[in-house]
Amino acid sequence: MTHHNLTTFLKRKMPDPPGSRIGVCVKGCDSRTLVALLQENLIDKEKIYVIGVPCDGVVSRRRIEKAFNDEVVDISFADGKVTATTRTGESQEFAKDDLLFDHCKSCRYPNPAYADDLAADPVAEPVDQTPMWAGLEEFEALSPEEKDAKLAEVFETCIRCFACINVCPVCWCWDQCVCRSRKPALVSQRVGAKENLMFQMIHMLHVAGRCPSCGACDRACPVEIPLYLLHRKMNKELHEMLGFEAGLSLEGKPVFQTFDVNDPLGEH
Amino acid sequence: MAQATATAEAPGAASTGGTREVKVIGIVCNWCSYAGADGAGTARLKQPVNMRLVRVPCTGRIDPLLAIKAFEKGADGVLISGCHPGDCHYSEGNYYARRKFELLDRMLPHLGVEADRFHYTWVSASEGARWQSVVTDFVTKVKALGPRQGRAL
Repeated sequence: MTHHNLTTFLKRKMPDPPGSRIGVCVKGCDSRTLVALLQENLIDKEKIYVIGVPCDGVVSRRRIEKAFNDEVVDISFADGKVTATTRTGESQEFAKDDLLFDHCKSCRYPNPAYADDLAADPVAEPVDQTPMWAGLEEFEALSPEEKDAKLAEVFETCIRCFACINVCPVCWCWDQCVCRSRKPALVSQRVGAKENLMFQMIHMLHVAGRCPSCGACDRACPVEIPLYLLHRKMNKELHEMLGFEAGLSLEGKPVFQTFDVNDPLGEH
Repeated sequence: MAQATATAEAPGAASTGGTREVKVIGIVCNWCSYAGADGAGTARLKQPVNMRLVRVPCTGRIDPLLAIKAFEKGADGVLISGCHPGDCHYSEGNYYARRKFELLDRMLPHLGVEADRFHYTWVSASEGARWQSVVTDFVTKVKALGPRQGRAL
C-alpha cells in the first residue's frame, strides 16, 4: 500500500478554476487525517474527490533498503511475499509480515473513515478493538533519568530539516509556524537536543486532536528519530483520558477545541 | 512568555544542578489564583521563596508549551493554577485548560521529567490559606527531588 499519506498535498493548494476538484486517494489512517482537517474546515469538501482505499498494511521501505547495499528500484507484491530488486538486478524475497510497520499490524481502522468512492471492497476490520500502542512499552519502562538520556541521545541527531512537519498532513501553519518565530521565541537557533526536542514538542502539541499517528513523520525522518515515541504516546494518553481518537467522523471535534463540564479529569 | 523564560534562566543554573536552591515557576490566572496568592501575602501566610509567579489572563490562555519551555530553560518545577472549574472569569477557559494540562501532566513523565515536578490545581481568590498549602506542598516535593539537570528537556 502506498507509503505516503497523500492528504499532505492538500495543504499546498486548492484547485483554481471554480467547480474543479482534486482527487485524492486515502487509506484508513490517511482518511483520518483528512477528516481531521475537514472537521476544522481547513479543506473545502466540495473541492476534493476522495477515493478510499481499504488498506492491508504499509511495508517499510526503509527495512527493505537496509537489506541491500544498492538502490532499490522495484518492489512487487504477491501472495504475502514482497520481492525487491536493486539497480544491479540483485533481488530478494521477504515475508510481508516482516516488513509491515508495527502500528499497521495492530491497526483498527483499515477502511477509510470518509470517502466519496471506494477503490475496492472494504477489508475486514479486526475483531479485537482494544487499542494497541505498539513500540512504547520499552521506553515507558525506563526511569526519568534514562528517558532523559535516551531523548537527549536521539534528539542530538535531529538536523531540524523540517521533513517531519512538511510531510505531516495535519501540521497546517506553514510559514507562520511558531517554531520559526522570534516572539515568542520558543525555539532558538542554537543546535542541540533541547532545541530539537522543543521543536518536536511544538509539533506534537499543535497536532494534538488531529494526529491519528499515521506515521508519516517517522517515515520521512532522514536520521530515523523514533517520533512515534511522542505522537503515539500522546494519542494513547488522549485515549485513556477521554476516549478520544482523532478524525473518526466528520461530526467529531478536535479534543482541545471543545470541552465537557463533566470531563472525567481528576480533581487536582 | 518572556517573563516565564527570563525568570527561569539564571546564568548557569540549569546545568550546574548540585546543591543550588530549586526554582519553581507558577503560572496563575489573574482572577483567582493570583488574587489568592495576593491574599495569602496580605495575610502574611508564610510561603517558600522558591516560587516565581507569572500572571496570565486565564488558564485557558496557558499553552502547555509554556510549561515545557520553562523546564527546558531550567525550571525545577512548574505549578499551574486557576479558577475552580465552573468559576472561570471567562466562563469556560479552565474547562479547555484542564484537558491540556491533564495531557501535559501525563506526557511530562514520558519526557524524562518526574511527575512531582508538575502540578495543576485550582485556587480561588478567597483561598489564601489553600494557596499557602498548595505552594508549600509542591515546593517540598520539588525540593525532595532536588535541582534538575535535564539534557533533553
